[in-house]
Amino acid sequence: MWAYIAKRLILTVPVLLGVSFVVFAIVRVLPGDPAQVLAGEAATKELIEGLRRDLGLDRPLLVQYVDFLGSLLRGDLGRSIRSKIPVTSELAIRVPNTMILALAGITVATLVGLPAGIISAVKPYSLIDTGVMLLALAGLSMPVFWSGLMLILVFAVLLGWLPAVGTGTPAHIVLPAIAVGMTSAAIIARMTRSSMLEVLRSDYIRTARAKGVAERVVINRHALRNALIPVITVIGLQTGTLLSGAVLTESVFAWPGVGRLMVEGILARDYPLVQGAVLVVALSFVLVNLVVDLLYALADPRIRYE
Amino acid sequence: MRPLLTLLVSLSLLSGFGFAAGAAPAPRGGTLIIADGVDATTLDGHLYTDSPTAERMDHICETLFDMTPEGRLEPRLAVSSSFSADGKRLTLKLRSGVKFHDGTPFDSKAVKFNLDRILDRETRAPWRSLIDRVTEVVSLDPSTVVLLMNTPFSPLLVHLSHTGTCMQSPTAIQTKGVDYARSPVGTGPFKFKEWVRGDRVVVARHDDYWGEKANLDEIQWKVIPDDGARVLAVEAGSVHIAKRVPPREIERLRGVRGLRVEIVPSLRTIYVAFNVTKPPFNNKKVRQAMNYAINKEAIVKAILAGAGRVSDAPIVPAVFGYSKTMTYEYDLDRARALLREAGFPTGLKAVFHHPTGRYIRDAEVAAAIQGLARRIGVELELQTMDFASYIAFLNKPVTESTVQMYMLGWGTVTSDADYGLYSLFHSINWPPPGFNRGFYKNATTDSLLDRARTTLDPDERKRLYAQAMGIIMDDAPWIFLYSESQVTAYRGEVGAVFMSPQERLVAGKGFLRR
Repeated sequence: MWAYIAKRLILTVPVLLGVSFVVFAIVRVLPGDPAQVLAGEAATKELIEGLRRDLGLDRPLLVQYVDFLGSLLRGDLGRSIRSKIPVTSELAIRVPNTMILALAGITVATLVGLPAGIISAVKPYSLIDTGVMLLALAGLSMPVFWSGLMLILVFAVLLGWLPAVGTGTPAHIVLPAIAVGMTSAAIIARMTRSSMLEVLRSDYIRTARAKGVAERVVINRHALRNALIPVITVIGLQTGTLLSGAVLTESVFAWPGVGRLMVEGILARDYPLVQGAVLVVALSFVLVNLVVDLLYALADPRIRYE
Repeated sequence: MRPLLTLLVSLSLLSGFGFAAGAAPAPRGGTLIIADGVDATTLDGHLYTDSPTAERMDHICETLFDMTPEGRLEPRLAVSSSFSADGKRLTLKLRSGVKFHDGTPFDSKAVKFNLDRILDRETRAPWRSLIDRVTEVVSLDPSTVVLLMNTPFSPLLVHLSHTGTCMQSPTAIQTKGVDYARSPVGTGPFKFKEWVRGDRVVVARHDDYWGEKANLDEIQWKVIPDDGARVLAVEAGSVHIAKRVPPREIERLRGVRGLRVEIVPSLRTIYVAFNVTKPPFNNKKVRQAMNYAINKEAIVKAILAGAGRVSDAPIVPAVFGYSKTMTYEYDLDRARALLREAGFPTGLKAVFHHPTGRYIRDAEVAAAIQGLARRIGVELELQTMDFASYIAFLNKPVTESTVQMYMLGWGTVTSDADYGLYSLFHSINWPPPGFNRGFYKNATTDSLLDRARTTLDPDERKRLYAQAMGIIMDDAPWIFLYSESQVTAYRGEVGAVFMSPQERLVAGKGFLRR
């Protein structure tokens, strides 16, 4: 198992190298000049050209990429073109915020979605099942820039129970976690229902019931564990997505995370910021995939990694 | 119009103060939280380019002169000024007893350091062009500094009130290097405390300030990008002030207890410029027809909920040099007649580029223009892109530019007509690098604008600008749309905080009622 983990971690390196090249190339293909953006609308040609030289943008692309790689290997992601703040410092603040939001969101999603999917599967085509699936559809359909505002309106403005926006206290995470968890909960509920229905039709479930095993035990011990593999996959994918930054949620709730940082960086053509943020997101995805694969082994004893 | 603007701003100030003269002193203490849609981009006063950053810097760093919201230039760190007879030498007397927040004395050496830093091309100061006529800064004695020029430059004093020329601690700049941009040091009523990028900037009262001490303990600018969330935050009381309230919320918020909404005319003019070097807009009659075809009153009323002012000149009333010139009244018959005379009896087609989310409801305004133009047979294809790409697209030289008509805004932030007219209508400012992106050129206009910036007599300058604006309006290189107004929501406990025409909140004397 440890050898497997070590191998996967080593494989992260070429993945990140590939990502570094792709993001380096893509931001430079975008129209718009970072020097012009930095210099502002009222800039002179002389100022723009001077800034281009300062930022090293007048060098050949290959030279720029090699320079970038060299710094990356030293752990230096450069400085934001706009703020001059080291990218690592920027990410050091934003990444924990994003992790908190992602973990809180996926917790809400799992705590709501998993039981909802199980209940739906256990009582298929019933009123409960229809109700749960309708709620899931609503959760999937509601855009977060609307549902987020509704949550603020009800819980912050009308009831005054929770803060509207920002960070600082545990209460601040509640509304964003619900907003971002709603969509994931819907996806998890649907996947759980689908997977459980398939498992509940299996011969060994019929056998367990025929043997007189309590229904609660049939569901929780026999069916759920076998239905978990695709559900774990979905939870993993949703976690990865949330770790890449929930831009709309971050904007509505003024949550300073990686998603907003990336969008701001792209709009400002802040190459170092975008490159750094994308690399961190890529690393998150790789690590989340590794954790998901390890959880497979926990859920299904037949899966073993060498 | 300037008296009306003065009245509007004064009323705004008085309502903000909320108490009659001679009443109890303003309460002290508390943290004022301002919700803004965007964060500062840097905290180096010489390197910023945007209004939100300038608003924060204005509370930390001060300029030699202060431009009041009413358009008066007043002493601040400089107490007096005098030009030599030939206009090539400006002598400034400095305020004594002032120190930067880090204890560095403010004197003529500090002024020279700051101005030299801005003038140094290696600094890459975006606002260098404001003072680039200065060839040398001389520190005569600790309280006297002299600026030397090769030719007179009348807007110089006004430009020394621009935030981009603010005074920052030489010690801090020299010791902190590139990291200075994260922790500025000025002479202002507040000193820098914290910047969590993307989240907040916090400043704290400077108890050794040379002037009237601030009432507030701290001011916090909180970044809330979403318009709806920003409004809800001020309703919920999570913040005290919400900037850039969407026009559609004005009526509703006015009915909310504990809130007040203020609309303040801005220095920013929104316009649609034509590429006057290429058909069909190389024909003045076509451009005038477009002006007559667009119902600007309806746009301001319907899309901006009245938070705007139809343009009657290329610049706004709050700018020195403004005079009411003319408006193109909505007249479809006249528009169609002009098109016929221009040789387009059945209309024409063109591509109209516009930004989205850069100005208040810009995309909706562009769509309205498209619909209105259709009534005279002008079919406009709308194209939009993100702002960085947009500016890159517009900044091409005349031989490469493919733009036909484009929407932009321009804030005459110096409150002087030179910045608004010379930058946008003089032929020397064809891009790159200039901002006359429609390639307008009129030799008489050029001459008038050149003379206006070298004449020291303010009345003569006004006369020259009036003449220039008359020609510009008649030539119609733009559709002269409107100037924006800033809509701001305040909680009732906020006092003495107001929005200036420069689109900046001024909270230096602000307070929070218990």
